[in-house]
Amino acid sequence: MKLILDGITVARGEWRCSADGTFLPGIHLVTGRVGSGKTTLARIMAGVLNPLSGQILREGISSCMLCQQFPEYHVTGPTLAKEAESYGIVAEKALDMAGLTGREEEDPFRLSRGELRRFQIACLSLRDWDLIVFDEPFSALDCKEKQKERRRISTLSSRIVIVFTHEQRYLPKTDYLWEMRDGVLSYLGTVPEALPFWETAPVHVRMLLEKGIIPANLTEEDLLEGLCRMQG
Amino acid sequence: MQDARLRLFSVLLLSVACFISIAGAVLTLLWLLLYPVYLKAAVRSKAYYFLLPFTGIVAIVMQLSGEDGLSYFIRMGILLLLGFTVFRGWEPGEFLDLSVWLFGTKTGFDLGLAIEMTIQGIDEASRDWSRVLTAMKLKGIHPGFRNLTSVGFLLIHLRLLRARDQADLLTTRGYQSGGSCCPAFHASNREIIASFCAILILFIALFHVRDIFILMM
Repeated sequence: MKLILDGITVARGEWRCSADGTFLPGIHLVTGRVGSGKTTLARIMAGVLNPLSGQILREGISSCMLCQQFPEYHVTGPTLAKEAESYGIVAEKALDMAGLTGREEEDPFRLSRGELRRFQIACLSLRDWDLIVFDEPFSALDCKEKQKERRRISTLSSRIVIVFTHEQRYLPKTDYLWEMRDGVLSYLGTVPEALPFWETAPVHVRMLLEKGIIPANLTEEDLLEGLCRMQG
Repeated sequence: MQDARLRLFSVLLLSVACFISIAGAVLTLLWLLLYPVYLKAAVRSKAYYFLLPFTGIVAIVMQLSGEDGLSYFIRMGILLLLGFTVFRGWEPGEFLDLSVWLFGTKTGFDLGLAIEMTIQGIDEASRDWSRVLTAMKLKGIHPGFRNLTSVGFLLIHLRLLRARDQADLLTTRGYQSGGSCCPAFHASNREIIASFCAILILFIALFHVRDIFILMM
């Protein structure tokens, strides 16, 4: 099973973005600055936007989902129960997971954006997808919730998981690292080997690398372990 | 298109020209070629093709009842195209400028604000519509007649929520009635020529071409 981007290009006025690469099963982290084209690329990968040129090959992928940057973009049901049903899952389970037990009949738009984000990620993680693309999954969440959600993403049973984010602190356990550089998607390699080549690496990762310490991965636990090594 | 006053003036004249004669409608279509970018966007607009069949139905009924349905269809089709083309060229805030220029900072401001908010609402509803369709596509729901009610409900609901937010914002900013706005307009030579052409088109539409030649002789 793999997702192949073959000569993908997108243009909007003067702005251009291009991507080539193969996404194998595992967790892929795609980072880049705001406005670098992450959302556009996420939408192309999920098949909701057509590129200007190039093609996307989905080998062995029969189910695909995009977790959009703004959770309200996903809402199609008038109540939380109906909304959960629209994903083909049991509402109670999703509500329990999102900490919204007993609020089945509530209007999704009455929730705060953070609550709606939690509910949306819960709905998505209750189904197995061959390919799931997360576009800024940690936006609108507080630190505690970011921690919870990044753990949930790390343990997803979906096969190819692609996380687009500019989050610096709470990152999932990552297998492959990608970066948007000047409008071009670059594959950096597997984690941790790729970390020294990461231009937009979070400040604490850079600090560890400068001291010659390569953390095992990008989770808080791994970074803490690296910090302990630094202190001897 | 930059000067909203000239644009409104031209649109009013061309609408009349388009409505009263085929010659006026055809010349209006030629006038639209002065703005190819907006015309192209209007021709690509799905809403245009959604509305066009309604004109077609009326045209068929007219034809069946012995009137010139084909002429009606051509005139109304071009009139719609004129509306869509001009709407594409409209920039946010222009209606407010125009309204204040026409009716002053009290009534004009209120009217302009209402028009701006309505246009913004139409724009947002169109974006919401495509977002809901994307969400449905992702969830594997086929957008059919059965889902039309829930989608309609959702769009109205979103609109009401935004209206409440807008009302809160206006209240917070102390809005009661009227406001200060200094409209500025910049007319290019091209726009002045286009407006002059619009006057000519109306003139030709009002007096049939044949009559003009008779008068000249």
